[in-house]
Amino acid sequence: MITVGVDVGGTFTDLVLANMQTAQQVIHKVPTTPGDPSVGVLQGVSELCALARVTPSEVRYVLHGTTTATNAVLEHKGAKTGLITNDGFRDILHIARHQRVEHYSIQQDLPWQARPLIERAHRKTVPCRLISPDGAELVPLDEEAVRRAARELAVEGVESVAICFLFSYLNPAHEDRAAAIVRAEMPGAFVTTSSSLSPQFREFERFTTAALSAFIGPKVGSYVAALDAALKQIGVTGELRIMSSNGGVATARMVTEKPALTLMSGLAAGVLGGGWVGDQAGRNRLITFDIGGTSADIGIINDGQIVETDARSTSIAGFPLLMPMLDIHTIGAGGGSIAYVDEGGAFRVGPQSAGASPGPAAYGRGGDLPTVTDANIVLGRLMPGDFLGGAMKLDATAAERVIATLAARLGLPLLDTAEGVLTILNANMANAIRSRTLQKGIDPRGFALVAMGGAGPLHAAEVAAMLAIPEVIVPPFPGITSAMGLLVTDLKYDAVRTLFQTSGQFNLSRINADLAAMQNHLAGRFAADRIAPDAVSYARIGDLRYVGQGYELKVPIPNGSVDDASMAQVLDAFHAAHAAEYGHAFPQNPVEVVNLRVVGRGAMPRLTPGRAAPGGSLELALIRHSNTVFRVSGTLASYPTAIYQRASLPLSQPFSGPAIILQKDTTTAVPPGWQAEVHPAGSLILTQKVLP
Amino acid sequence: MTRIDPVTAAVIQGGLDTIALEMGHKLMRMSYSSIIRESEDFGAALTDATGRQLCECRLSTPLQSGPIPGYVRNILSTLEARGETLNEGDVIMHNDPYGGASHGPDVAFAVPVFHEGTLVGWSVTTAHHLDIGALSPGSCGIVDAVDTYAEGLQFKAIKVYDAGRRVDPVWHILRANIRAPELVVGDMEAQVKASHIGAQGMLALIAQHGLTTLQAAADDLMDYSERRLRAAISALPDGDYSASTQIDGFLDDPDPGRSNLTICATVKVRGDALTVDLTGTAPQVPDKPINMPLVGTVDCAVWLTVRSILLDAAVVGPVPQNEGLTRPITIVAPLGCLANPIFPAPVIARFCSGNALADTVMKALALAVPQQVSAGIGNLRVVALSGLNHGNHWVHMEIMEGSYGGRFGKDGMDAVDTLYANTRNNPVEDIESHVPLRIERYELREESMAPGAWRGGIGTIREFRFLADAGFSIEGDGHAHAPWGFQGGSDGHTASLTLVAADGTVRALPSKVPYARVKAGDRLIAVGPSGGGYGDASLRATALVARDVADGLISAATALRDFGVTIHKDGTGERV
Repeated sequence: MITVGVDVGGTFTDLVLANMQTAQQVIHKVPTTPGDPSVGVLQGVSELCALARVTPSEVRYVLHGTTTATNAVLEHKGAKTGLITNDGFRDILHIARHQRVEHYSIQQDLPWQARPLIERAHRKTVPCRLISPDGAELVPLDEEAVRRAARELAVEGVESVAICFLFSYLNPAHEDRAAAIVRAEMPGAFVTTSSSLSPQFREFERFTTAALSAFIGPKVGSYVAALDAALKQIGVTGELRIMSSNGGVATARMVTEKPALTLMSGLAAGVLGGGWVGDQAGRNRLITFDIGGTSADIGIINDGQIVETDARSTSIAGFPLLMPMLDIHTIGAGGGSIAYVDEGGAFRVGPQSAGASPGPAAYGRGGDLPTVTDANIVLGRLMPGDFLGGAMKLDATAAERVIATLAARLGLPLLDTAEGVLTILNANMANAIRSRTLQKGIDPRGFALVAMGGAGPLHAAEVAAMLAIPEVIVPPFPGITSAMGLLVTDLKYDAVRTLFQTSGQFNLSRINADLAAMQNHLAGRFAADRIAPDAVSYARIGDLRYVGQGYELKVPIPNGSVDDASMAQVLDAFHAAHAAEYGHAFPQNPVEVVNLRVVGRGAMPRLTPGRAAPGGSLELALIRHSNTVFRVSGTLASYPTAIYQRASLPLSQPFSGPAIILQKDTTTAVPPGWQAEVHPAGSLILTQKVLP
Repeated sequence: MTRIDPVTAAVIQGGLDTIALEMGHKLMRMSYSSIIRESEDFGAALTDATGRQLCECRLSTPLQSGPIPGYVRNILSTLEARGETLNEGDVIMHNDPYGGASHGPDVAFAVPVFHEGTLVGWSVTTAHHLDIGALSPGSCGIVDAVDTYAEGLQFKAIKVYDAGRRVDPVWHILRANIRAPELVVGDMEAQVKASHIGAQGMLALIAQHGLTTLQAAADDLMDYSERRLRAAISALPDGDYSASTQIDGFLDDPDPGRSNLTICATVKVRGDALTVDLTGTAPQVPDKPINMPLVGTVDCAVWLTVRSILLDAAVVGPVPQNEGLTRPITIVAPLGCLANPIFPAPVIARFCSGNALADTVMKALALAVPQQVSAGIGNLRVVALSGLNHGNHWVHMEIMEGSYGGRFGKDGMDAVDTLYANTRNNPVEDIESHVPLRIERYELREESMAPGAWRGGIGTIREFRFLADAGFSIEGDGHAHAPWGFQGGSDGHTASLTLVAADGTVRALPSKVPYARVKAGDRLIAVGPSGGGYGDASLRATALVARDVADGLISAATALRDFGVTIHKDGTGERV
């Protein structure tokens, strides 16, 4: 069976073709076509098939990571969107949580007011009201008012409508009925309800999730439809599946209905790819660390499980998103990050980036500000003649010139300045990792860092050292790990319901009924997607907190009918999770089950294990020796360093740093005190020999 | 001159920020009451051994983290006066409003950090507690407290852990004297844990860099922040900039000395330093709790306002929040005025007066930097709703938002916490699921937009219906005095509170209401203030006026009256 993974990034579209039977793997890269990304995708798929000598009709699945939804939100280019909500609550989206983004600022913009997803003119209210605890109807839905609102929206040129009522997470009837009316009144419009996306309490967050979905809906829908049609035109008869933020893929139909699923599409694939690489090397506690030109993305895999965010920590462009998502933390730190001395004399690196254009000074495209890439060149860690496999020459003189200017401002020697740029950047990244792990009660010292992206392997060992992480894994192709990640996922759909039940007073029949209803709902989705029932598995999860708390922890719910014994297990697991995350538990305190969740997975064919090419040796791999600069035990010094070609390195034969390892899509730095070896599965494993 | 290299300084700054963030992150997740976990009315900071602030959690609220140095200094002096020694493993509780605390409900739990037997710093969290044992339920709207004793329990540097051993009697006293003790004590325990997390983080940082390097970096970082603020002050023309505003005080009080009180601020810029002189501010109200502690409220209000305007985070990017930012500023407040009360004058309801003080400082600075300020802000109102359910107290606190004035080039922010407050509202779906209240309306006010080239921010209307017999109390301001317009913009709109009884009787309430009983079916309608306009309304872009009309914020008639803009059938506007 042949599967193709296509990951559209900002600059490049990465592709991987894998034959799951023969273990054939072919990779390819084409420029991204920002105007219409599907153009680049089609070109890439055609070329890839030719490279792999397969006909497009042999491709069973095209798995796709897309930034269409993300970019529509980041650039605020979405549909003209309308809202229908309860009388008296027209401005929930506008008032938000009434909190400013910045404490110390008069001139700040609030995203939800400065760049509203739905203008007030298009926010309509209608009489209707449901109430807790069970969603009973206090005020019936005024259907005529809904009809009137829909007609007004149509006249105003609205293309997409979000229907958001209070307490719809307890009872979707009003939202569903209103949606049916709006669909009848506005044929052709995209219509979504808040309860169908995320039936959880907290109205601002749920309404915003629906508003985001409506805002991007028409764009995502037409992109997916066009791509699907175009793939068929070039002869691909297999199915298109799209990466979701939750770390699974979804069918084109599902994504068209719930476009907000794809807001973290590209990033999620990267973490999956990192997890797969770690798994191949026999590691299941991993921190994935993907550094590109402008940003670094960090994901965590704990005991083989990718860590998901809690519902209150997820946002895009300042808008909260109440959907299951992998916990991916992005900071503005990358190869293009600009180093500067600020007005008060402090030495800073990023978050401003020179990007790809003009890029670092060494790119020779007019960049005249010192960047991380320039610092790496000055220290001898990036080879000006070997960048992108020699396809792009770097200007070492220009790099030295801009770092020298910075050094003069700081009053530091040239090499100290260049090394300082890396130390500050690495410390920023180490702090980001620290905050994502320690805050969750995870000790990073037991983890391996998976270095991805063009710049990840240059920095990973030093970042790991700052965190006392003993091991770094550099995948065979760090630049296309996201595309690889697309080939190791399952179809994954989530269902959630808010419960609000307290220990001692659990209503077991309601819990069982809710779990069964959610599982049935998901089974229906899988059936509609033509997934055989025996290929589907379900996991059940509760979001629990001590009564009074505002943040929940996820705890597994045992299989089978839920009874007192299984709820006791759930409570024990909650106390343990609380102790792990916060350092203590209160076993005597009452516990509230806030949400129930069911996660359904439809198994997909997976990438077969990789293998490193045998036959290499250090002698064959050695290109030359040159000098590189590292700081060891506080002292900055220049070291004679072996420069190796990665493809010719021997298997399972450790060699010591300092060493620089070249390959087309990245450069790996092995600092003094570290050693490296090629794992049989193809990854490079870097280990710190002596912990400081 | 710096003491250490700029690379190490940058690395240590990042380390400090990460620790403070973790403290706050865990505190808000562990705590029980909505005032901490939803409203985020808490603080977390590290200081050096003498109480100089090193960093604060960016999730915290300024009026909580800002006072932490004052708490620490007073703990140190109190212990010394008593001859008590500080031991490793101590945890100290403190809430003395005449000893650094902002007011009694903001209780600090301070952990002294020892390195090789020497005190090297403090890790401190503060948080607003739901109840601190005052005369009526809740910890806001205690507007009839006659002195500090009536405001609740006072803890002056009390050890709740002594050398690692829990001091049980103190906790017993707490539980016995506070309503809703499960919630409050649970929150306090969460604070203790979060303070310990900060202490561990500080020790790890010392282990990593060495104490001497850390201290040198801390000094450099304070100097850095000080340098940034001094540079910004230097850019102002030297001179005295004066402004005054009025607060409601107690509008229903027959004593004229208790209503319509003046707050006066003169910002005296001299080179790279400035003095904020509050001379002219009304005398303290000796038996009503709207007086403001000089240390803990007034100083924070002044620091926050100066920094938000001169080192606006959206304009200049992040500047480390530490003691350096306070050094260029001197505060003068005559003893016995609202801004420097004499013990035991009550202070528990100082929230709104303090925010009005911050607004007055902005009004004074507006004369020096007219393009960096907003027109007058709409102040906040805090309400406590409470009742008894089978013998257990339920208490719900809600901070009701104000709005900002218009800004140079931008409209004012609508429906948001202002100046030294930055809390979050509670979701309607959370409130109704947990307390016997129904929210019947929560949206923007219409026809209440202050005209200006850049309009003032718009306040909200919130309607609460009581589903059971209950009590409520309110501390607010801004019923009598509208936020100031600026540069030709109009004044904003005042706030109001109305109680509509189940039988239809309507009662307008003043901005401060001590504990009062209500019946099931009664409704409380809170109308929030709208900020002042900025610049002449005739200069407002017609497209913006047309959008305001399309958005239903104002009618076409108002557009014509206030902006001189006619709205055509197709929705476009034309200036007449």
